Amino acid sequence: MNGSNAVSSRRRRFDQIVAVFHQDMYRYAAWLCRDKSVAEDVVQEALLRAWKSLDALRDEAAAKQWLLTIVRREIARHYERRRLETVDIDNLTASQSAMLAEAPNEELSDLRESIYELDSDYREPLVLQVIMGYSTNEIAELLGLKQGAVLTRLHRARLQLKENVADEMCS
Amino acid sequence: MSRETETMNCEQYREAISAEPAFDGGTEHLSACVDCQTFRTEIRALDVRIESALLVDVPELKMPELPDIETVAASDNVVPLASRRSFSKPVWLALAATVLLAALIGIRLPDFGTSYASLEEQVLAHVDREPGAFRVTSTPVSESRLAKAVPAHIAALNHDVGMITYAQSCSINGYPVPHLVIQGERGPITILLMPNESVSEARTFEGENVHGVILPVGSGSIAIIGNREEQLDRVTKKMLDSVNWST
Repeated sequence: MNGSNAVSSRRRRFDQIVAVFHQDMYRYAAWLCRDKSVAEDVVQEALLRAWKSLDALRDEAAAKQWLLTIVRREIARHYERRRLETVDIDNLTASQSAMLAEAPNEELSDLRESIYELDSDYREPLVLQVIMGYSTNEIAELLGLKQGAVLTRLHRARLQLKENVADEMCS
Repeated sequence: MSRETETMNCEQYREAISAEPAFDGGTEHLSACVDCQTFRTEIRALDVRIESALLVDVPELKMPELPDIETVAASDNVVPLASRRSFSKPVWLALAATVLLAALIGIRLPDFGTSYASLEEQVLAHVDREPGAFRVTSTPVSESRLAKAVPAHIAALNHDVGMITYAQSCSINGYPVPHLVIQGERGPITILLMPNESVSEARTFEGENVHGVILPVGSGSIAIIGNREEQLDRVTKKMLDSVNWST
């Protein structure tokens, strides 16, 4: 394969991977950052890093975990730089509240707000399990936790959401 | 589901189903417990709504400007740590003489038999011998591999250290040394946990394109080596906070 073919082949491979996993990357970033603008910036940075280190991805089957790990690291870098650690739900910026505002109905909006308020230790495994389709074992591997800890966090996350939903219905 | 669940009580069943709504174990308990049947229905219904809530709209993909491969190859992020470093001429001569002597007397030098001018030299030589550790990757090692490389009888390591992408059980001076790699801003950062190598104070050192530090930790030490441009201070602090010797 000559140099030009290698370059276009590399670019094709990258585009294919990104086309499949871009939505996952964004949603993962959005729920970890809880801010649409930050999530977009993080995904841009993550794509750049993924492109630079594409050759390290040996197995296409591992692409999703590889990309999400890059996103995770980018988020850590972002917050290390910016020191934005807490979010006051009653005092959100426009791009933070935009995440909540787009829910199609009030019930979903309330639930989204409850997820938004979950501690990140609970929110992250929930996102990975529910919309990324990760097993608890895969979550444990990605987050560097024991599987039992992941199960506990997921259990607590759902109980908390269940209680919040019940409270909303009562009120 | 792999967990055996036939003897579950309500609490155990609810923990299991709320951790994994697809959980299909605990059938014996479930068939006899109407409350848990209701709980399962509620959790599964909730999960459908959680999924809808999590599926936020995704903006159109904006691909960043991607540098060409030559630029990538020269960029900081993908340049691995230099796998070669400079020995001074006398050290080369000493090494050559040692090898020649070994060849003459017909023995193969074991690692711990090689003499080095200092622990720093030994650490750099060790790092040179494991080029596989220099791979830039975002894939963490598995828990089981990490547990093998850092067995509980040597050290306890908490996860604040960061994502570990390489873990191998090595040896220095005949003692086991967990060899770890995390990904830094400027490439891989090598960490050697040396519970049997005592140093009285932090010692910095440099090789070709790399620099490092050996930190005293209890009765042992930890070596941290990264690209010369890498800021090791943050890693250093994390390691000091994260490692506890078991002995």
